[in-house]
Order: sequence, then structure tokens, then C-alpha cells
Amino acid sequence: MPFYRCVVPKDSVSYDQRAAVAKAFTDIHCGNTGAPRSFVHVVFDEADDRWETPFFLDGGNRAGRSEEVKAELLNDLMSAFREITGVAEADFSGRITEGPASWTMEGGMVLPEPGEETAEWYEHDLQGQAAAGG
Amino acid sequence: MSKVSFRCTMQEGQIDEATRERLADGLRQVTKGVLGESPDDIPVSFSDIPSGFGFRGGEPSTTSLVNGSIGGGVTQDVREELMRGICDMWMEISGCTVDELVVSARDA
Repeated sequence: MPFYRCVVPKDSVSYDQRAAVAKAFTDIHCGNTGAPRSFVHVVFDEADDRWETPFFLDGGNRAGRSEEVKAELLNDLMSAFREITGVAEADFSGRITEGPASWTMEGGMVLPEPGEETAEWYEHDLQGQAAAGG
Repeated sequence: MSKVSFRCTMQEGQIDEATRERLADGLRQVTKGVLGESPDDIPVSFSDIPSGFGFRGGEPSTTSLVNGSIGGGVTQDVREELMRGICDMWMEISGCTVDELVVSARDA
């Protein structure tokens, strides 16, 4: 977590654009929340989901952040997606839903609540990046 | 209706069919051990994220996601026991590292 699922029409977003969106989402999420980079998941889904717009951002985050942070995060993510892909504002919508951090285990650790992250959690992220060569 | 179910999402080409069958059986056995559910009553589904469509930390992902749904809910201690059991089982059978797996156990 976080998990950002971008529902897109088939063949509408190139690999380079997907990679750029994934990097931008990671930068934005970590910049807004302070979360470790390796915990940010971005998936593109050429599904036939019926949303109100052809392109849709379906995000899932840990619960516990302020409404202000959540609104700014969604706005920044959607702006980056439109800027990278060229998708019109009218064709793109999104939401971020939340769930308890304690329901998820990642890197062998139960996720901490926002604001309760320990040094060990961040250290684990650095180790993961080093192992991945990043 | 099943009390417990699992939806597993993997990166394309990472886990073959035979390994998936072992993982499904492992999920059922771990759940039986922690929650007492009959393995026959635990649906497990698998789906793939196509290559080039999944990213983690801004880079191509090798991570598998195991999403469990628990009807009726459980205490946090039981939830953690279930998630840890799934983590250990998944790493042993698939050969992935602890950093290549996300497990959730949500109240249905």
C-alpha cells in the first residue's frame, strides 16, 4: 500500500507513458505523505470496467490522513496522469478509498498507521532499494 | 457463501500453473490452521498483471498481492497470525523474497 490502479482503454497508454506515470505517482505519493517509495504500487488495467469516464484512477491507501492531504494527493496524481498521457480532463476521474493499515502485511511487517511509522520501517525500505540496485 | 476467500494477483510469467496449485493448497491449509475453516470452503483465484503494466516504487514490479477476505472479522492477533503464515508459506513455495509479497486480510 498504497495501491493505485489506473483503468485505461486498450492500447491507449504506451509503456513509456505508463512508466512515467508510475514514477510520477511514486514521487507525488511519497512527497505528500512521507511514505517509503518501495511501498507504492501502480498498476494499469485495460479492463472493461464501467466508470463515469474512459480513464479512471482507483486508489487504495492507508486510512488516517487528513481530508486536506487526501484531496491534495488525488489532485496531484490526476494532474500528473493528464500531463503525461495527454488525456482530457473530461475523460478522467478518480477516487481514493481507504482501509486500516493493520489489515495489510508488506515486507514481512504489518503496515503502521499514518504518522506511526518507525525508523525500522524506513530502514527496511532503504534495504529493499539497495537490494534492487536502486 | 464462503467465510474466507483469496484473490491473488501476480506479475505475468512469474509463477507457473503447478506452483499456483501448490500456493492455493497452501492458502487453504494455513487458513484451516489459523481459522479452522474447511479447505473445501475456501475459494482461491489467480490473475496476472501483464508485463509492463505493474510497477512498484516507480520501477517494474515483481511483487505478488494476496488479498484475503474474512467474513465476520477476526481479532488483530489472529489476523496477523494468518498473514504471517501466508507470507511464510508463499515465500517457501514460490521462492520469492519478503519484499516481493503483499498480504492483506480484510474483514468482509
